[in-house]
Amino acid sequence: MDRADLTPEAEAPARPSGNFGKLAYSFLAVSLLSGAALVPHYDPVSPLLSLETIVGAVPLGSFLRGLHVWSSFAVLGATLIHVVQVAWRRTEGQLGLGAWWRAVALVPLLLLVLLGGFVLRGDAEARAAGDVWRGLMASIPVVGQGLAAFVLGGVHESLGAVALHHAGTVSILVLLFTIEHARLVWPGTRPATLATLVSVGAAGLLSLPLGPPPPGRGVLLGPWALLGLQGMLVDLPVALGWGVPLLLVTLLGALRASTGRMRGGVLAALGTLVLAWIAFSVRILLLAGGR
Amino acid sequence: MSSRRDFLGEVWRWMGIGLAALGVGLLWKSLRPARGESREVELTPDLLARLSTGEGFASGGLFLTGTPSVPKALSLECTHLSCRVAPRPAGGFACPCHGSRFDADGRVTSGPARRPLARAVLEKRGDRWIARI
Repeated sequence: MDRADLTPEAEAPARPSGNFGKLAYSFLAVSLLSGAALVPHYDPVSPLLSLETIVGAVPLGSFLRGLHVWSSFAVLGATLIHVVQVAWRRTEGQLGLGAWWRAVALVPLLLLVLLGGFVLRGDAEARAAGDVWRGLMASIPVVGQGLAAFVLGGVHESLGAVALHHAGTVSILVLLFTIEHARLVWPGTRPATLATLVSVGAAGLLSLPLGPPPPGRGVLLGPWALLGLQGMLVDLPVALGWGVPLLLVTLLGALRASTGRMRGGVLAALGTLVLAWIAFSVRILLLAGGR
Repeated sequence: MSSRRDFLGEVWRWMGIGLAALGVGLLWKSLRPARGESREVELTPDLLARLSTGEGFASGGLFLTGTPSVPKALSLECTHLSCRVAPRPAGGFACPCHGSRFDADGRVTSGPARRPLARAVLEKRGDRWIARI
Protein backbone atom coordinates (compact mmCIF):
# COMPACT_ATOMS: atom_id res chain seq x y z
CA MET A 1 0.00 0.00 0.00
CA ASP A 2 1.22 3.47 -0.88
CA ARG A 3 2.19 5.46 2.23
CA ALA A 4 0.20 8.42 0.93
CA ASP A 5 -2.98 6.34 1.28
CA LEU A 6 -2.63 6.00 5.01
CA THR A 7 -5.20 7.97 6.98
CA PRO A 8 -4.12 9.89 10.11
CA GLU A 9 -5.90 7.20 12.14
CA ALA A 10 -3.87 4.46 10.54
CA GLU A 11 -0.65 6.35 11.28
CA ALA A 12 -1.55 6.85 14.92
CA PRO A 13 0.80 5.39 17.51
CA ALA A 14 -0.11 2.19 19.34
CA ARG A 15 -0.70 4.11 22.60
CA PRO A 16 -2.45 7.18 21.24
CA SER A 17 -3.49 8.73 24.52
CA GLY A 18 -0.66 7.95 26.89
CA ASN A 19 -0.86 5.52 29.75
CA PHE A 20 -3.45 7.24 31.93
CA GLY A 21 -6.29 5.37 30.26
CA LYS A 22 -4.81 2.02 31.22
CA LEU A 23 -3.95 3.37 34.65
CA ALA A 24 -7.58 4.49 35.14
CA TYR A 25 -8.70 1.02 34.09
CA SER A 26 -6.28 -0.55 36.59
CA PHE A 27 -7.52 1.69 39.42
CA LEU A 28 -11.06 0.72 38.41
CA ALA A 29 -10.16 -2.96 38.80
CA VAL A 30 -8.75 -2.31 42.30
CA SER A 31 -11.84 -0.26 43.19
CA LEU A 32 -14.28 -2.91 41.96
CA LEU A 33 -12.49 -5.80 43.68
CA SER A 34 -12.18 -3.96 47.01
CA GLY A 35 -15.78 -2.80 46.69
CA ALA A 36 -16.95 -6.36 46.07
CA ALA A 37 -15.15 -7.41 49.26
CA LEU A 38 -17.07 -4.74 51.21
CA VAL A 39 -20.52 -5.53 49.82
CA PRO A 40 -21.33 -8.48 52.16
CA HIS A 41 -20.69 -6.29 55.20
CA TYR A 42 -22.83 -3.34 54.12
CA ASP A 43 -26.51 -3.09 55.01
CA PRO A 44 -28.28 -0.09 53.42
CA VAL A 45 -30.90 -0.15 56.19
CA SER A 46 -28.25 0.69 58.80
CA PRO A 47 -25.40 2.33 56.91
CA LEU A 48 -23.61 3.90 59.87
CA LEU A 49 -23.60 0.64 61.81
CA SER A 50 -22.33 -1.15 58.70
CA LEU A 51 -19.51 1.31 58.36
CA GLU A 52 -18.58 0.98 62.02
CA THR A 53 -18.63 -2.80 61.64
CA ILE A 54 -16.43 -2.63 58.53
CA VAL A 55 -13.95 -0.31 60.19
CA GLY A 56 -13.98 -1.92 63.64
CA ALA A 57 -14.91 -5.58 63.36
CA VAL A 58 -14.16 -6.90 59.87
CA PRO A 59 -10.57 -8.16 59.48
CA LEU A 60 -8.71 -5.65 57.30
CA GLY A 61 -12.02 -3.77 56.94
CA SER A 62 -10.55 -0.32 57.45
CA PHE A 63 -7.79 -1.09 54.96
CA LEU A 64 -10.28 -2.43 52.40
CA ARG A 65 -12.42 0.68 52.78
CA GLY A 66 -9.34 2.86 52.25
CA LEU A 67 -8.33 0.78 49.23
CA HIS A 68 -11.83 1.19 47.74
CA VAL A 69 -12.10 4.92 48.38
CA TRP A 70 -8.60 5.96 47.27
CA SER A 71 -8.61 3.74 44.18
CA SER A 72 -12.04 5.16 43.24
CA PHE A 73 -10.73 8.71 43.56
CA ALA A 74 -7.76 7.68 41.43
CA VAL A 75 -10.07 6.26 38.71
CA LEU A 76 -11.65 9.67 38.27
CA GLY A 77 -8.34 11.54 38.50
CA ALA A 78 -6.63 9.31 35.93
CA THR A 79 -9.70 9.44 33.67
CA LEU A 80 -9.71 13.25 33.66
CA ILE A 81 -6.00 13.34 32.79
CA HIS A 82 -6.72 10.78 30.05
CA VAL A 83 -9.44 13.06 28.65
CA VAL A 84 -6.97 15.97 28.53
CA GLN A 85 -4.44 13.72 26.75
CA VAL A 86 -7.02 12.68 24.17
CA ALA A 87 -7.95 16.31 23.46
CA TRP A 88 -4.29 17.34 23.37
CA ARG A 89 -3.25 14.59 20.94
CA ARG A 90 -6.46 14.89 18.87
CA THR A 91 -7.03 11.14 19.04
CA GLU A 92 -10.78 11.21 19.66
CA GLY A 93 -11.45 10.29 16.01
CA GLN A 94 -10.01 6.81 16.58
CA LEU A 95 -13.19 5.69 18.30
CA GLY A 96 -16.44 4.99 16.50
CA LEU A 97 -19.23 7.48 17.20
CA GLY A 98 -21.17 5.21 19.55
CA ALA A 99 -18.06 4.06 21.38
CA TRP A 100 -16.96 7.70 21.73
CA TRP A 101 -20.25 8.77 23.33
CA ARG A 102 -20.18 5.77 25.65
CA ALA A 103 -16.62 6.70 26.59
CA VAL A 104 -17.79 10.27 27.25
CA ALA A 105 -20.61 8.89 29.41
CA LEU A 106 -17.96 7.35 31.65
CA VAL A 107 -17.19 10.78 33.13
CA PRO A 108 -20.71 11.48 34.53
CA LEU A 109 -21.09 7.81 35.48
CA LEU A 110 -17.88 7.96 37.49
CA LEU A 111 -19.10 11.15 39.19
CA LEU A 112 -22.40 9.46 40.01
CA VAL A 113 -20.72 6.38 41.43
CA LEU A 114 -18.45 8.60 43.52
CA LEU A 115 -21.43 10.53 44.84
CA GLY A 116 -23.25 7.26 45.55
CA GLY A 117 -20.31 6.05 47.61
CA PHE A 118 -20.32 9.30 49.57
CA VAL A 119 -24.05 9.03 50.28
CA LEU A 120 -23.70 5.38 51.36
CA ARG A 121 -21.65 6.55 54.37
CA GLY A 122 -25.04 7.35 55.87
CA ASP A 123 -23.89 9.99 58.37
CA ALA A 124 -25.40 13.48 58.60
CA GLU A 125 -23.17 14.88 55.88
CA ALA A 126 -23.92 11.96 53.57
CA ARG A 127 -27.67 12.27 54.17
CA ALA A 128 -27.47 15.97 53.32
CA ALA A 129 -25.58 15.11 50.11
CA GLY A 130 -28.34 12.66 49.27
CA ASP A 131 -30.95 15.39 49.83
CA VAL A 132 -29.09 17.75 47.51
CA TRP A 133 -28.79 15.02 44.89
CA ARG A 134 -32.50 14.28 45.09
CA GLY A 135 -33.48 17.96 44.98
CA LEU A 136 -31.22 18.55 42.00
CA MET A 137 -32.57 15.59 40.05
CA ALA A 138 -36.16 16.43 40.92
CA SER A 139 -35.66 19.91 39.45
CA ILE A 140 -35.06 18.44 35.96
CA PRO A 141 -38.21 19.13 33.93
CA VAL A 142 -40.57 16.26 33.08
CA VAL A 143 -38.35 13.31 34.00
CA GLY A 144 -36.74 14.68 37.17
CA GLN A 145 -39.05 13.27 39.84
CA GLY A 146 -39.16 9.82 38.27
CA LEU A 147 -35.40 9.80 37.76
CA ALA A 148 -34.81 10.79 41.39
CA ALA A 149 -37.10 8.01 42.60
CA PHE A 150 -35.37 5.48 40.32
CA VAL A 151 -31.84 6.43 41.34
CA LEU A 152 -32.40 7.23 45.02
CA GLY A 153 -35.56 5.36 45.97
CA GLY A 154 -38.40 6.90 47.96
CA VAL A 155 -37.91 9.95 50.16
CA HIS A 156 -38.17 8.10 53.46
CA GLU A 157 -36.76 4.77 52.32
CA SER A 158 -33.39 3.18 53.09
CA LEU A 159 -30.29 3.58 50.95
CA GLY A 160 -31.12 0.34 49.13
CA ALA A 161 -31.59 1.94 45.70
CA VAL A 162 -28.37 3.94 46.03
CA ALA A 163 -26.46 0.82 47.10
CA LEU A 164 -27.91 -1.17 44.21
CA HIS A 165 -26.91 1.39 41.60
CA HIS A 166 -23.53 2.05 43.24
CA ALA A 167 -22.47 -1.59 43.46
CA GLY A 168 -24.55 -2.83 40.54
CA THR A 169 -26.01 -0.82 37.67
CA VAL A 170 -23.53 2.05 37.41
CA SER A 171 -20.44 -0.01 38.25
CA ILE A 172 -21.38 -2.61 35.64
CA LEU A 173 -21.95 0.11 33.02
CA VAL A 174 -18.60 1.69 33.86
CA LEU A 175 -16.85 -1.66 33.53
CA LEU A 176 -18.58 -2.54 30.23
CA PHE A 177 -17.92 0.88 28.68
CA THR A 178 -14.30 0.76 29.85
CA ILE A 179 -13.71 -2.70 28.37
CA GLU A 180 -15.31 -1.60 25.10
CA HIS A 181 -13.33 1.63 25.08
CA ALA A 182 -9.99 0.02 25.88
CA ARG A 183 -10.69 -3.11 23.80
CA LEU A 184 -8.91 -4.97 26.57
CA VAL A 185 -10.01 -7.20 29.42
CA TRP A 186 -6.69 -7.00 31.27
CA PRO A 187 -5.22 -3.48 31.43
CA GLY A 188 -1.63 -4.72 31.54
CA THR A 189 0.83 -5.83 34.22
CA ARG A 190 2.68 -2.52 34.65
CA PRO A 191 -0.34 -0.21 35.10
CA ALA A 192 -2.09 -2.84 37.24
CA THR A 193 0.97 -3.16 39.50
CA LEU A 194 1.34 0.62 39.76
CA ALA A 195 -2.36 1.13 40.53
CA THR A 196 -2.30 -1.59 43.19
CA LEU A 197 0.83 -0.20 44.84
CA VAL A 198 -0.50 3.38 44.88
CA SER A 199 -3.90 2.27 46.23
CA VAL A 200 -2.34 0.05 48.91
CA GLY A 201 0.03 2.85 49.90
CA ALA A 202 -2.78 5.40 50.16
CA ALA A 203 -5.00 2.98 52.11
CA GLY A 204 -2.18 2.28 54.54
CA LEU A 205 -1.04 5.85 55.04
CA LEU A 206 -4.13 8.08 54.74
CA SER A 207 -7.05 7.93 57.14
CA LEU A 208 -10.69 8.38 56.13
CA PRO A 209 -13.32 10.36 58.02
CA LEU A 210 -16.07 8.52 59.86
CA GLY A 211 -18.78 10.56 61.48
CA PRO A 212 -20.19 14.08 61.38
CA PRO A 213 -18.41 16.97 59.63
CA PRO A 214 -16.22 19.32 61.66
CA PRO A 215 -18.35 21.69 63.80
CA GLY A 216 -18.83 25.24 62.60
CA ARG A 217 -18.89 24.43 58.90
CA GLY A 218 -21.93 26.19 57.46
CA VAL A 219 -22.11 24.45 54.11
CA LEU A 220 -21.86 20.92 52.82
CA LEU A 221 -18.70 20.11 50.87
CA GLY A 222 -19.38 16.58 49.57
CA PRO A 223 -17.07 14.61 47.25
CA TRP A 224 -14.06 16.62 46.06
CA ALA A 225 -14.96 16.27 42.40
CA LEU A 226 -18.36 17.87 42.96
CA LEU A 227 -17.18 20.85 45.02
CA GLY A 228 -17.62 23.10 41.98
CA LEU A 229 -21.20 21.97 41.60
CA GLN A 230 -21.88 22.64 45.28
CA GLY A 231 -20.37 26.11 44.88
CA MET A 232 -22.63 26.81 41.90
CA LEU A 233 -25.70 25.78 43.87
CA VAL A 234 -24.94 28.40 46.53
CA ASP A 235 -24.80 31.27 44.06
CA LEU A 236 -26.61 30.27 40.89
CA PRO A 237 -30.09 28.99 39.98
CA VAL A 238 -30.76 25.33 40.72
CA ALA A 239 -31.25 24.51 37.01
CA LEU A 240 -27.56 25.20 36.40
CA GLY A 241 -26.80 22.40 38.84
CA TRP A 242 -27.74 19.88 36.18
CA GLY A 243 -27.47 22.22 33.18
CA VAL A 244 -23.72 22.82 33.55
CA PRO A 245 -22.76 19.11 33.86
CA LEU A 246 -25.03 18.35 30.91
CA LEU A 247 -23.35 21.09 28.88
CA LEU A 248 -19.89 19.79 29.85
CA VAL A 249 -20.75 16.26 28.70
CA THR A 250 -22.36 17.53 25.50
CA LEU A 251 -19.31 19.64 24.65
CA LEU A 252 -16.99 16.72 25.34
CA GLY A 253 -19.12 14.52 23.09
CA ALA A 254 -19.17 17.19 20.37
CA LEU A 255 -15.39 17.26 20.31
CA ARG A 256 -15.26 14.22 18.03
CA ALA A 257 -17.52 15.77 15.40
CA SER A 258 -15.84 19.18 15.36
CA THR A 259 -12.88 20.20 13.28
CA GLY A 260 -10.82 23.32 12.68
CA ARG A 261 -12.16 26.50 14.24
CA MET A 262 -15.21 24.71 15.60
CA ARG A 263 -12.96 22.35 17.55
CA GLY A 264 -11.15 25.36 18.97
CA GLY A 265 -14.47 26.85 20.03
CA VAL A 266 -15.59 23.63 21.72
CA LEU A 267 -12.27 23.35 23.55
CA ALA A 268 -12.48 27.01 24.62
CA ALA A 269 -16.00 26.50 25.97
CA LEU A 270 -14.90 23.33 27.78
CA GLY A 271 -11.91 25.13 29.26
CA THR A 272 -14.08 28.03 30.44
CA LEU A 273 -16.53 25.69 32.15
CA VAL A 274 -13.74 23.73 33.82
CA LEU A 275 -12.17 26.96 35.07
CA ALA A 276 -15.57 28.09 36.40
CA TRP A 277 -15.94 24.69 38.12
CA ILE A 278 -12.54 25.14 39.79
CA ALA A 279 -13.39 28.73 40.80
CA PHE A 280 -16.66 27.62 42.41
CA SER A 281 -14.78 24.82 44.19
CA VAL A 282 -12.47 27.42 45.74
CA ARG A 283 -15.46 29.63 46.51
CA ILE A 284 -17.27 26.97 48.56
CA LEU A 285 -14.08 25.95 50.35
CA LEU A 286 -13.61 29.58 51.41
CA LEU A 287 -17.28 29.77 52.42
CA ALA A 288 -16.96 26.61 54.52
CA GLY A 289 -13.84 27.92 56.19
CA GLY A 290 -15.38 31.29 56.94
CA ARG A 291 -18.54 30.15 58.74
CA MET B 1 -51.51 10.50 -8.65
CA SER B 2 -49.74 8.67 -5.85
CA SER B 3 -48.53 5.13 -6.33
CA ARG B 4 -49.14 2.24 -3.97
CA ARG B 5 -45.50 2.60 -2.78
CA ASP B 6 -46.15 6.24 -1.86
CA PHE B 7 -49.31 5.28 -0.03
CA LEU B 8 -47.54 2.58 1.99
CA GLY B 9 -44.70 4.96 2.74
CA GLU B 10 -47.21 7.46 4.09
CA VAL B 11 -48.89 4.77 6.19
CA TRP B 12 -45.55 3.71 7.70
CA ARG B 13 -44.67 7.32 8.42
CA TRP B 14 -47.89 7.99 10.30
CA MET B 15 -47.63 4.69 12.14
CA GLY B 16 -44.12 5.68 13.20
CA ILE B 17 -45.33 9.08 14.40
CA GLY B 18 -48.20 7.42 16.26
CA LEU B 19 -45.93 4.89 17.96
CA ALA B 20 -43.46 7.63 18.90
CA ALA B 21 -46.30 9.70 20.40
CA LEU B 22 -47.55 6.66 22.29
CA GLY B 23 -44.04 6.00 23.61
CA VAL B 24 -43.62 9.60 24.75
CA GLY B 25 -47.05 9.45 26.40
CA LEU B 26 -46.21 6.26 28.28
CA LEU B 27 -42.83 7.64 29.31
CA TRP B 28 -44.49 10.85 30.51
CA LYS B 29 -47.06 8.90 32.48
CA SER B 30 -44.52 6.60 34.09
CA LEU B 31 -42.11 9.35 35.03
CA ARG B 32 -44.56 11.95 36.34
CA PRO B 33 -44.33 12.49 40.09
CA ALA B 34 -47.07 11.30 42.36
CA ARG B 35 -49.39 14.22 42.85
CA GLY B 36 -49.45 15.94 46.22
CA GLU B 37 -46.97 13.63 47.91
CA SER B 38 -47.36 14.49 51.55
CA ARG B 39 -46.91 12.80 54.87
CA GLU B 40 -48.61 12.97 58.19
CA VAL B 41 -46.97 13.14 61.58
CA GLU B 42 -48.90 12.48 64.73
CA LEU B 43 -48.11 14.81 67.59
CA THR B 44 -48.08 12.42 70.52
CA PRO B 45 -49.12 13.55 74.04
CA ASP B 46 -45.45 13.47 75.06
CA LEU B 47 -44.53 15.91 72.29
CA LEU B 48 -47.45 18.20 73.15
CA ALA B 49 -46.49 18.11 76.82
CA ARG B 50 -43.00 19.35 75.93
CA LEU B 51 -44.60 22.46 74.43
CA SER B 52 -45.73 23.54 77.90
CA THR B 53 -42.14 24.61 78.61
CA GLY B 54 -42.72 27.42 76.11
CA GLU B 55 -39.70 26.48 74.00
CA GLY B 56 -39.85 25.10 70.50
CA PHE B 57 -38.10 21.86 69.52
CA ALA B 58 -37.47 19.71 66.47
CA SER B 59 -39.10 16.33 66.00
CA GLY B 60 -39.96 14.16 63.00
CA GLY B 61 -38.87 16.73 60.45
CA LEU B 62 -40.96 19.43 62.11
CA PHE B 63 -40.20 22.33 64.45
CA LEU B 64 -42.96 22.53 67.02
CA THR B 65 -43.92 25.69 68.86
CA GLY B 66 -47.07 27.12 70.46
CA THR B 67 -48.90 25.51 73.34
CA PRO B 68 -50.19 21.96 73.94
CA SER B 69 -53.70 23.16 73.10
CA VAL B 70 -52.71 25.25 70.06
CA PRO B 71 -49.53 23.75 68.60
CA LYS B 72 -47.78 25.13 65.53
CA ALA B 73 -45.45 23.19 63.24
CA LEU B 74 -42.93 24.32 60.69
CA SER B 75 -41.36 21.94 58.17
CA LEU B 76 -37.61 21.62 58.54
CA GLU B 77 -37.12 20.88 54.84
CA CYS B 78 -35.12 23.60 53.12
CA THR B 79 -37.01 25.09 50.18
CA HIS B 80 -33.83 25.28 48.10
CA LEU B 81 -32.86 21.61 47.65
CA SER B 82 -34.72 19.79 50.45
CA CYS B 83 -31.90 19.50 52.99
CA ARG B 84 -32.93 19.31 56.64
CA VAL B 85 -32.46 22.76 58.23
CA ALA B 86 -31.30 22.99 61.83
CA PRO B 87 -32.52 25.35 64.56
CA ARG B 88 -29.88 27.94 65.47
CA PRO B 89 -29.04 28.72 69.08
CA ALA B 90 -29.62 32.42 68.35
CA GLY B 91 -33.06 31.69 66.86
CA GLY B 92 -34.19 30.85 63.37
CA PHE B 93 -32.88 28.05 61.18
CA ALA B 94 -29.82 27.35 59.06
CA CYS B 95 -29.43 24.96 56.14
CA PRO B 96 -26.23 22.89 56.35
CA CYS B 97 -26.06 22.32 52.60
CA HIS B 98 -25.82 25.75 51.00
CA GLY B 99 -26.07 28.13 53.93
CA SER B 100 -29.64 29.43 53.60
CA ARG B 101 -30.93 31.17 56.73
CA PHE B 102 -34.52 31.48 57.96
CA ASP B 103 -35.99 33.44 60.84
CA ALA B 104 -38.06 31.88 63.63
CA ASP B 105 -41.21 32.11 61.47
CA GLY B 106 -39.51 30.36 58.59
CA ARG B 107 -39.01 33.46 56.42
CA VAL B 108 -35.85 33.58 54.32
CA THR B 109 -33.23 35.93 55.73
CA SER B 110 -30.47 34.90 53.33
CA GLY B 111 -30.35 32.66 50.24
CA PRO B 112 -29.94 30.68 48.11
CA ALA B 113 -33.43 29.57 49.27
CA ARG B 114 -36.15 31.93 48.04
CA ARG B 115 -39.31 30.52 49.59
CA PRO B 116 -40.12 30.38 53.31
CA LEU B 117 -40.19 27.09 55.20
CA ALA B 118 -43.53 25.34 54.77
CA ARG B 119 -46.06 25.49 57.57
CA ALA B 120 -47.57 22.11 58.42
CA VAL B 121 -51.34 21.94 58.36
CA LEU B 122 -52.52 20.87 61.80
CA GLU B 123 -55.82 19.20 62.36
CA LYS B 124 -57.37 17.65 65.41
CA ARG B 125 -58.75 14.14 64.95
CA GLY B 126 -60.51 13.15 68.15
CA ASP B 127 -57.99 13.86 70.88
CA ARG B 128 -55.01 13.58 68.53
CA TRP B 129 -53.18 16.31 66.64
CA ILE B 130 -52.01 15.41 63.14
CA ALA B 131 -49.50 17.55 61.24
CA ARG B 132 -49.61 17.23 57.46
CA ILE B 133 -46.65 18.42 55.39
